[in-house]
Amino acid sequence: MHRPPRVARRHVYKLLYLSVCARNSYSTAHFYQNRQLELYASKQATLLSLRQLVFYGRAMSEERLIKSANYVRTELPIRIAHRLRDLQGLPYIVVMQEGVNRVYDLYWTAFEKFRRYPEVRTIEENDEFCQFVRGMLNEHSAVIPSLSLGLSLASPYLPPDQLDSFMRRMLVSRMSRRVLAEHHIALSDAFNGRDHNVDGEGHVGIIYTGLNVEKSVKKCASILRPPSNVQMPEVIIEGHLGTTFAYIREHLEYIVFELLKNSIQATVDAHAGKLSYPPILVTIMAGVNDIGMRISDQGGGLTNPHIRTPSDLFSFSHVRNATRMEDARLGSLRSVSERPAGMVATVNELVQRWQEEQRTRDNPEVEAGVGSHPRLGIGLPMCNIFSRYFGGSLELVSMDGWGTDAYLRLPKLGTNLEGIEF
Amino acid sequence: MLSRRPVHCFRPWSRKFISSYLCRTPEPASPELAQLLATHAQHAPQPLTLGSLLSLGRPLTSESILASAQIVQTEMPRRLAMRIRSLEGLPFIVGTNPHIARILEGFRKNFLWSASYPPITNIEENSVFTSQLENLVRDHANDIPTIAKGFQECQRYMSAEAISSFLDAAIRNRIAVRLIAEQHVALTHALNNPDGLQDHLGVIDMNLSPVKMLKMCASFVAELCEASLGASPSLIIDGHTEARFAYVPVHLEYVVTELLKNAFRATVERHHSGSSTSLPPVQVTVSLPSAPPSMSGLAQITSPTRPRMLHIRIRDRGGGVAPVHIPHIFAYSFTTAGRNAVHALADEDELDGPYAAQHVGGGAAVGSDLFGEIAGKGVQTGMGTIAGLGFGLPMSRLYAQYFGGSLELFSLDGWGCDVLLKLRCLDHAEDAEI
Repeated sequence: MHRPPRVARRHVYKLLYLSVCARNSYSTAHFYQNRQLELYASKQATLLSLRQLVFYGRAMSEERLIKSANYVRTELPIRIAHRLRDLQGLPYIVVMQEGVNRVYDLYWTAFEKFRRYPEVRTIEENDEFCQFVRGMLNEHSAVIPSLSLGLSLASPYLPPDQLDSFMRRMLVSRMSRRVLAEHHIALSDAFNGRDHNVDGEGHVGIIYTGLNVEKSVKKCASILRPPSNVQMPEVIIEGHLGTTFAYIREHLEYIVFELLKNSIQATVDAHAGKLSYPPILVTIMAGVNDIGMRISDQGGGLTNPHIRTPSDLFSFSHVRNATRMEDARLGSLRSVSERPAGMVATVNELVQRWQEEQRTRDNPEVEAGVGSHPRLGIGLPMCNIFSRYFGGSLELVSMDGWGTDAYLRLPKLGTNLEGIEF
Repeated sequence: MLSRRPVHCFRPWSRKFISSYLCRTPEPASPELAQLLATHAQHAPQPLTLGSLLSLGRPLTSESILASAQIVQTEMPRRLAMRIRSLEGLPFIVGTNPHIARILEGFRKNFLWSASYPPITNIEENSVFTSQLENLVRDHANDIPTIAKGFQECQRYMSAEAISSFLDAAIRNRIAVRLIAEQHVALTHALNNPDGLQDHLGVIDMNLSPVKMLKMCASFVAELCEASLGASPSLIIDGHTEARFAYVPVHLEYVVTELLKNAFRATVERHHSGSSTSLPPVQVTVSLPSAPPSMSGLAQITSPTRPRMLHIRIRDRGGGVAPVHIPHIFAYSFTTAGRNAVHALADEDELDGPYAAQHVGGGAAVGSDLFGEIAGKGVQTGMGTIAGLGFGLPMSRLYAQYFGGSLELFSLDGWGCDVLLKLRCLDHAEDAEI
């Protein structure tokens, strides 16, 4: 049998790529392009702790800023490569789902762009790099709803444990990449005298070194208080008031906002038609190693018949949480993932959505006609991911028929490494 | 060394040798006993559900009493045989421990009695049988502390995991045996005295008020706390304070007492300093989700995935459990009381004497006065009775889990604890296995 020489064979493959690539990105050509990816995926990610991020950012110099840029430049493709390999290991049919394939393409493009990005050597080059990173962050703003949509659709093809651990790896890694990118951008802005922080709280990059827990809770509670004189349950804060610690404020406030919002909604729904609502009790604790928070409401508990235990609310599998396959939810995930702004899980976004919801709530016509805001089911899973990122935890406990207690624990010392799994 | 030993010692047929040999090991089972054991251990375990046990009391007739006696006569020997087999499966050196040997001996005696008792055919026979059964239940009130003492002495021969899984199984078995026996005793009493406790179905109170129970236990614990620590916090109960549910009162009493003891003690220890007596209250919230619609008859099992549960949350501000202790809170013989609590695990004397004994002795005994027993010693021994007994949480959890409930502890480090107790409503728990 005649076999073409090696070089010739390679040439044939190349022709094959070119002919098929043009039509379909999941062609056989793609299969042979995996080499570079595997090279990057074989490298370990360099995990960081909050404390390292703060210490490095504290004494900024041109040289250190450029070093930081190149760390981000080389670290991100490694972390993305791990996720691409993770996606490649999923059953074929899962990645073919709407949403998942979009994310796969986005990640692949991002991987190629970062991999080829030249070394950063000057401050000017760093500014360009920051622009580039910002652009990438925006391009990826719809990844969470896309993945959530895709994995909901693929839920019948993956056992729940596997599905959830995959989602956890994807979301934690995504968060870690955004933390690195945003931290570097914030450090660069600060270095260039473009500090966006106006409220004067001490911070290094995106990390607030003296984050006041009570203040954050109050802030979230006041946003959640409607401007009109509509009755709302009162938020009472007790415990070790004045507790401060170093953390990413955005993460803490996202969790607090989402939990408080759920508590308020549950309380309002459970006590509809009554003259006043029972309060929501927030207890702040300063432990030895952790900052703790308990949010206790009287909203009737988590008696949703679709779930067995409260932690099922963190699950993306329809086996654990049947609402994942509901048409309304899939529909709203679809529309959010097609919006250019996407859904990046930030407090601002939550605030906007809450305000929209309040408007429709107050206006019965809108509410009756459109029902325009079926819940996406992303808030609680994201809170769970945010809380676990640096080794904290979030636990929901239901007193059926009475109320819910949410127990949040975040590490105080900042020495834990990022909780990324490979 | 060897050459100096008298040679005859090594001759096994020597009478002298045999007698001294026997002194070192417990008596083997008699041939009849071994035979009986073998037969009963062979029986395929037939699951006994709460539903079938309860159906005997609805309505209570002389026929159903005889059926109940028959359940006791099949289930007791079978379960005691299981217990004996598992004791016999322990390492030999553990079996030679006097406490363990005594327990095994007791089990063998009971087993022999229950396995060889002639079948009950009428009410008169039953009343004789029942009074003997009652004595037997009473005699064994202190089994668990004895076993615990035994294992405490055997710590170097078995791993902590092996000991705790043995204890878990032993305690679960004990709860079951006592429930079966006490249910029969209670039904027999009810038949003889139809005007007795109206809401009771054997040992189950079909209309139990958790708030009443909480108040009763709290007043006892407060007294104990006052006596040993000099102060006690107040108790606030909110939530569904009118709730009533079906449960075994002695189980609830045991668990609630244990949990309140922990909460009260932690609160006093953290906040009580000499003159100042403003203690933050212990806050208890009771919640009973409304019964699912359309349930009637025995066969109707409410949502099988989420059985109906009574929730009791006990919230204190006693400072919580230090993170290093969290992994051990449900371990036997561990305590967070005292300064060197973390070393208590290694300290053999920690589980000693009356503390452990009285503490775990209060089981589900009909007519046994748990409170009297503890209170009497409580005043005598001061601090020891309320703290650091090491069995409270694991035992309470086993009781809570017995019918499919749960017991969870959430520590808010530096602030306090929330303990959430969920108990199945036994009028909706026909499927619960005993």
